[in-house]
Amino acid sequence: MTTTAQPSNVAYLSAAPVVQRARKNRSQQIFFFSVMLIFTLIWLIPMFSALYTSIRVQGDLTRNGFWSLPSEINFGNFATAWERGRVGTYLGNSFIITIPSLIGMLFLSSLAAYALARYKFKGNMLLYFMFVAGTMLPFQILLLPVFYLTTRLGLYNQFGGLILIHTAFQLGFCTFVLRNFMRTVPTEILEAARIDGAGEFRLYWQIMLPLSLPALAALATLEFTWVFNDYLWAIVLISSAGKKPVTAGVAALKGQFNTDWPVLVAGALIATLPTVFVFTFLQRYFIQGLTLGSGK
Amino acid sequence: MYKKVLALLTVVALLAVGFSVASQPTVAQMKIVYNSYASDPIPRAFTESVVAAWNKANPNMPVELNIINHEDFKQAIRTYLVADPAPDVLDWFAGNRAQFFISRGLIADFSDVWQAEGWDAVYPAGFKALATVDGKQYFLPNNYYWWALYFRPSILKDAGLEPPKTWDDLLNACRVLNEKGIIPITIGTKAPWPAAAWFDYINMRLNGPQFHLDLMLLKESYTDPRVKAVFLKWKELFDNKCYIENSAALEWADALTPMAQGKAAMYLMGGFITDSWQLAAKDDPNLQADLDFVRFPIIDPNVPIGEDAPTDGVFLAARGGNLEAAKKFLAYLGSREVAQRGVDELGRLPVRTDVSTERFTEAQKKGIALIQSADMVLQFYDRDTTPEMAERGLNAFASFFADQSEANIDALLADLEETRARLAAEQAKE
Repeated sequence: MTTTAQPSNVAYLSAAPVVQRARKNRSQQIFFFSVMLIFTLIWLIPMFSALYTSIRVQGDLTRNGFWSLPSEINFGNFATAWERGRVGTYLGNSFIITIPSLIGMLFLSSLAAYALARYKFKGNMLLYFMFVAGTMLPFQILLLPVFYLTTRLGLYNQFGGLILIHTAFQLGFCTFVLRNFMRTVPTEILEAARIDGAGEFRLYWQIMLPLSLPALAALATLEFTWVFNDYLWAIVLISSAGKKPVTAGVAALKGQFNTDWPVLVAGALIATLPTVFVFTFLQRYFIQGLTLGSGK
Repeated sequence: MYKKVLALLTVVALLAVGFSVASQPTVAQMKIVYNSYASDPIPRAFTESVVAAWNKANPNMPVELNIINHEDFKQAIRTYLVADPAPDVLDWFAGNRAQFFISRGLIADFSDVWQAEGWDAVYPAGFKALATVDGKQYFLPNNYYWWALYFRPSILKDAGLEPPKTWDDLLNACRVLNEKGIIPITIGTKAPWPAAAWFDYINMRLNGPQFHLDLMLLKESYTDPRVKAVFLKWKELFDNKCYIENSAALEWADALTPMAQGKAAMYLMGGFITDSWQLAAKDDPNLQADLDFVRFPIIDPNVPIGEDAPTDGVFLAARGGNLEAAKKFLAYLGSREVAQRGVDELGRLPVRTDVSTERFTEAQKKGIALIQSADMVLQFYDRDTTPEMAERGLNAFASFFADQSEANIDALLADLEETRARLAAEQAKE
């Protein structure tokens, strides 16, 4: 393929076409840049309107409509959301729920993935398919059974209930991703360690796990946002306002008839900060994770 | 290896057990849990302060107040009531929606509180009827609001119009206002309930409140020519370009904006409209005063007058963990003290007859007169009929707003009738 292409490439080596190509590249660049700029702006409109709403007052919104110049600017909405809307407490709750769920699901699924990827036993494939099938399950159909289960276990309206369901529910997907990643790790490394006398758990803990770090980090980023942004399980399994994660807590600022939108939006903006933070600082791993194994 | 796996499994199992043990509620707590859907800013502040006053006076029986997003609450209440323990006290709607849970045994009987507090003497018969099933009290109605045709007096005056008293007045107002380039009636039907108010009223004015109630109770048919007459009457408003054009894009509160800006004149809405109006007109006393209301126009003077006055209240969950203390808290919520505060601070109408009306605003006095002079008081479409019927009905009204052709009216009525007949059959079986 490359050899047949070479003769035509030679023609380009003369000076004129090179300039032409550079020019073409430049205009192409400008074209792509402006298209991307437009899309970026369109993408940012909701973000901008949220920021804009969060510094206005509700009376002004009702009277003048959304796309009007503000009659007054009010940064106090953030403080109101934090104190009266209790966004501070809710954010704390979100972390109490998200972090143990993350640790639990990554630990358990990496164990399962290691076994599925590296041990030959009867029913290996069957087990693996069960994990994959688990990811296909729409969680809406689990609402009622899980609700009754948690009330029976005394976990209703407890952080533990939410943590367990998040951990359990995400196991399928995590195991699926990690198992496929672990299969790409060369067997020789493990065999070498085994010959040197490492136990099975040590193989997992000291060899497989560190090698799977990119996959784990990518999963952690993704799962963090999923669990952190969960709304449905939170409203089904938690009824106390003091135990709600930030998603359900901020929603309580919305009224039946009258809503103070600036305060609600300010609360929602605060609530997005942790996910934005996690994505910004872990996106390197996330992108690595997306392309795992593709460069072989 | 097996040992390690075994150890690991044990750790996991212990963790799971640990979670459930650590999270068992302690028996000693005497907390009363109160789940409220008062998530609107003003009612929210009121509920918080009522609970704070109780907690100050009763440190041994503190109330944990959980304010939940109104829409979520409506869905989640089914889980709240069967949870163990359920919250002790909950906000809810009077009428059919409370009946639904009472008949399933999920609401506690508090007839003893009703007797002890002597509420027979201070709660009018109509509200006692909302509280009572088979001679026992299950529901404490504690406030209601009226629906009326709100308008801006200054705009009607400029157009040389009186507030519309009859249907013809209303159509005439539409013509005159349209000529002046003013939108006669604003409405937001993104969430379709504001449209349901129009259906309620036209049906009550045209066919009488008893027929409307029977329709709500699934006893009358949606394919009855009288129901079709309602839609044909309703269509006259579209033929006369009475409504704002893009109503389907607006929430009810968005539709208030043209009215605040003087571009629209009238709005059929509940009393809570004043909460938003006060905010919108905060630094403009003239605008603040420039909102009034009249009874929905009369179509046939021989038909008895029906009004919508949705009533909210509280009940005790049958599976609550702290029923005895909750009853005391309920007695407090139904007390004269709290009712009086509700009147003064919230501006809603009191259910008790013994509260002082001295501090009533003109609007409140007018609202009470509006309700008291009615021949029959109903709740609202989505409270009077069963939840599933209400959902279908609201969608049908939204569809009518998009297309008023006779073909569409026939189609949506046939569709509604199918649902009604099925639900009525299910009800008969129970």
